[in-house]
Amino acid sequence: MSAGTLIARRSIRARWGRTLAIAFAITASVSFVVGSFVLADSLRATFDNLFQELNANVDLEIRSAQQFTTDDARDPIDVAVADSIRGVDGVAVVEPTLQRYAQLLDPSGKVITPAGGPTFGVSWEGDNGISGLTIKEGRAPNGPGELAIDKATADKEGLGVGDKVSYLTDSGTFSGTITATVGLGSADSFGGAQLTVLDLDTALVNLGADGKVDAIDVKVADGADVATVQRSIERVLPPNAEAVTGAEVAQETSDQVNQFVDVFGTGLLIFAFITAFVSGFIINNVFQITIGQRLRELALLRAVGASGRQVRRMITLEAFGLGALSTVLGVFGGLLVARGLIALFDAAGAGFPDTSIVLEPRTVIVAAVVGIGITMASVIVPSRRASRIPPVAAMRPELGFVAMRTRRLVAGAIVTMVGLTTFVIGLFVRPGGTTGLIALAGGGALLLFLGVASLSSTIATPVTRVIGWPIEKLFKIPGALARQNVARAPRRTSSSASALMIGVALVSSTAVFASSLRASLVNTLESAISADYIVTDQSFQGLSPVVSEKLAAIPELDAVTPVRGVTGQVDGNTKNIGAVDPVAFDKLVNPDLLQGTVADLGLNELLLQKDPAKDLGVTVGSTVDVTFQNGVTQTLTVAGIYADATFGNWLISLDTLAEVSDAPARDFFVIAKLADGVGAATGDAAVEAAMAPYPQANVQTNAEFLDSQEAQINQLLLIITMLLAFAILIAILGISITLALGVFERTREIGLLRAVGMNKRQTRRSVRWEAVIVSIFGAFVGIVVGTFLGVVLSLAVPDDVISKLAFNPSIIIIILIGAVIAGLFAALYPSYKASNMNVLEAIATE
Amino acid sequence: MSTPAPPAPPAPPAAPTTVVPGGTAAAGSIDARKTYGIGDSQVHALDGVSVSFETGKFTAIMGPSGSGKSTLLHCLAGLDTLTSGATFIGDTYLASLDDKALTELRRTRVGFIFQAFNLIPTLTAEENIKLPMMLGGDTGDKEWIDHVITTVGMGDRLKHRPSELSGGQQQRVAVARALASRPQIIFADEPTGNLDSVTGAEILSFMRNAVRDFGQTIVMVTHDPIAASYADRVVFVGDGRVTGEMIDPTTDQVIDHLRNWD
Ligand SMILES: Nc1ncnc2c1ncn2[C@@H]1O[C@H](COP(=O)(O)OP(=O)(O)OP(=O)(O)O)[C@@H](O)[C@H]1O
Ligand SMILES: [Mg+2]
Repeated sequence: MSAGTLIARRSIRARWGRTLAIAFAITASVSFVVGSFVLADSLRATFDNLFQELNANVDLEIRSAQQFTTDDARDPIDVAVADSIRGVDGVAVVEPTLQRYAQLLDPSGKVITPAGGPTFGVSWEGDNGISGLTIKEGRAPNGPGELAIDKATADKEGLGVGDKVSYLTDSGTFSGTITATVGLGSADSFGGAQLTVLDLDTALVNLGADGKVDAIDVKVADGADVATVQRSIERVLPPNAEAVTGAEVAQETSDQVNQFVDVFGTGLLIFAFITAFVSGFIINNVFQITIGQRLRELALLRAVGASGRQVRRMITLEAFGLGALSTVLGVFGGLLVARGLIALFDAAGAGFPDTSIVLEPRTVIVAAVVGIGITMASVIVPSRRASRIPPVAAMRPELGFVAMRTRRLVAGAIVTMVGLTTFVIGLFVRPGGTTGLIALAGGGALLLFLGVASLSSTIATPVTRVIGWPIEKLFKIPGALARQNVARAPRRTSSSASALMIGVALVSSTAVFASSLRASLVNTLESAISADYIVTDQSFQGLSPVVSEKLAAIPELDAVTPVRGVTGQVDGNTKNIGAVDPVAFDKLVNPDLLQGTVADLGLNELLLQKDPAKDLGVTVGSTVDVTFQNGVTQTLTVAGIYADATFGNWLISLDTLAEVSDAPARDFFVIAKLADGVGAATGDAAVEAAMAPYPQANVQTNAEFLDSQEAQINQLLLIITMLLAFAILIAILGISITLALGVFERTREIGLLRAVGMNKRQTRRSVRWEAVIVSIFGAFVGIVVGTFLGVVLSLAVPDDVISKLAFNPSIIIIILIGAVIAGLFAALYPSYKASNMNVLEAIATE
Repeated sequence: MSTPAPPAPPAPPAAPTTVVPGGTAAAGSIDARKTYGIGDSQVHALDGVSVSFETGKFTAIMGPSGSGKSTLLHCLAGLDTLTSGATFIGDTYLASLDDKALTELRRTRVGFIFQAFNLIPTLTAEENIKLPMMLGGDTGDKEWIDHVITTVGMGDRLKHRPSELSGGQQQRVAVARALASRPQIIFADEPTGNLDSVTGAEILSFMRNAVRDFGQTIVMVTHDPIAASYADRVVFVGDGRVTGEMIDPTTDQVIDHLRNWD
């Protein structure tokens, strides 16, 4: 074994506390990274399997064609088409499928809401070898008085075959006897969804399908060629219908779901990388300090003939060893993280069918790059410095420290500026779309953090003196010692506080963003919308049009409009188009009209926001051709131009929508206004009475809506903080280990203080308050940087989302209190170490 | 020590004015100057030192605190650089070497023993002894290393860490390390400064034996007249200059010489 390897190995073993801290930081980061990948991969595999299983026996599916790819629902297809297909040669089984909103009711008439999933009513013609549904117990429902439900819901609600149960659909409330519990293959649940299963005829009526089904599944006869049958079917299909294979459908469906998985996985990954970045800081700091402590040892090595390169290699090797070992641990940790998260989802009711953990080779490679990469990257500077220690430092350590200094401030300032510029360019110029935005803004922010971390050492001494002042007043000698110890090593203070700074900066920038979002929302609700009620959907499928119809019928309400949406293509570009009742909309919303009126918006007319109007070069009276997914192309006449984009850039009337789309109408939400002279209490009672049969409709007053939006914003803040928990934990660990190393360095000093009469309690206190000062300092810099980033971020967001900056002082106070707690926590081990050292031995230490 | 002091010998001649590398000189310096600081706070740690150390001899360097002994030793051993002048080992001028060559020189041609903190704390005694060879990527002369280890009497403590060894044992390991690679010259800076007289005597005899039996060249800085008496020659330094020398010194002669200083 070479000398370098030997010394590196010994060093890892001899410095256990440090080794463990570093290993923990890397392992945690790698676990997080691996966990994010594994979770996303596993979910993807699960959904792929799920949809494959669902479509396993479907050879062909008949459905209406889509002109372009969109998430809009396809137009339904006439159930009579099924009969014409039955006659086609080679067709064995034909099953029309229908899936609409339906939700089970408990005996008191309240809806049974599953923990996380949607609720569906589906048609089923029994086990004909084509559907993915399997009977767990009982027999398929037959007739209007019967239904089946999924076994997971049955078990949870204590329902079983023979029980009578009511269910709610868009057409009303129905009831029936449970004839079966069903599952999907071996699973009891359908990804957490609640299922009400009816026979086709019942479903067509009760689910409000109007004689139309979503699609028609076909199984070909044994020995028949699928492609041939497909061609034969296509010949009998009405125009704008298509026949595709079951495999294609499975792929499309899982691709759609996987879009969400991708977003979710990427989100997790971003936080995993933040954690890794923070770990890099800690590792860098720890190596920096230990190299200072090993200065004589390293100089001695140089004196007996080690080259600078050998010293550097030795330290790099040490880091590599730690990085590699922790990466291995991290991969296993990541599997645990993924399992834990899946268990968490399951507990929340997601009900994944037998999710198997998928560890792709790519994940392992990324883990190694991250784990070994961050360790090696964070040791570049310390090892370079170590290699510059002159051999004389073995005798005169002070010479070694001089040699180790670098021009940190200049570098720090440059990095800060570059980071800031990149961040701003990323947000405002946005080259390269979303990827460019994330890369530039993210990379810029990271550089900014690096720069600020090194610059913050210049303000560390004065700022910590101020932070320490009340502590000194309160705790006398221990407080004074803490204050001095922090102030005398500004560089170390700033680097050990930096990790916390990053976490706090991210939380506080989110806080600024969230407060601004809320303020802008309040602004919009106050100035642009004069609605008294906002009805939102809780079923994930959009509101049934029945809801707005019922509300419109109440005399206490003056104006009611649903807000619907559809996508259409203009010159090949996909646009989101909103559809409203113009008369009601005019009374409810002030879109800041520049030309034309809202109330007069007629059939095949269009209201355009001024920006797209300018882009298209159209004015009032111009026409625009819009193609919809079902193939309909409609020429719309611009009837008005408006400025406020709260309700989107394109608006048409509900009548126009009905003209161009056959898809079942679903409303995003409904807004309504009280009639003149009707009191709030009267109005509330009337609305409540009208909405009683529609629990999926969530009726909120203006104020309640704002509260719920605020709750959502706060929840976002909480989730982000939770995702930063790993990073913050590592930051606290970093402060702890820096402090422990500091205590070790000051062994002699502490021994002397103890010898002249400082008691254990005072020793503990001085270390404890030192930690608190450092973490408050980190929080302080973090709040400043984060608020700044939050402001830039809020300014970068389009005005229709954030139009107003706002700050939330209570979050700053919470962060500062958190910092004190973090400091106390970080001090546990070092203060114990400091107060329990043997006084005599301590003094004898060189 | 118990014998009464003999009359003081005549003051030795001043150091030779011409020193050349090679020949019988294992190492030396020519008009070596080392200045610290600038302006008013300038310190001339070495103020024109020309001295040579003969091969196969044990030379002691003595002088008051701050006279530049350590500085001289560091510059001779290639641990530090001069402000002006030259130092050489064998026929190699150190100034002509880059960092890589200097490192190589320290590893293969020079041994160094400090007053304290000689050993890497995480390595065992044996590993510390073999360290220069390991750094060079070779195993060294095994027989010779075994011999050195037996001679310093550390055979049974080889697997111990420095923290488990006494001060004297640590210095013996340091001496063994310096000898193990058979360097051209060993520099020792107060190697017995931290030891009691008995342990110190052991180390010193051991160093003298190495010179006598193996022809090792050793240059040692010391404040102790007894330690100096182990040497073949003493060079006296004061204020960064060579102020005198003494051949085959006895303890009493050295004491007398030092007394004459005041
Ligand atoms: N890095 C330095 N910076 C400034 N002055 C220095 C430095 N190193 C040594 N000196 C000065 O150089 C002079 C010689 O120092 P040196 O260590 O060589 O003395 P010494 O003879 O070894 O002393 P001692 O017997 O106390 O070990 C002293 O005056 C010392 O203060
Ligand atoms: Mg000295």
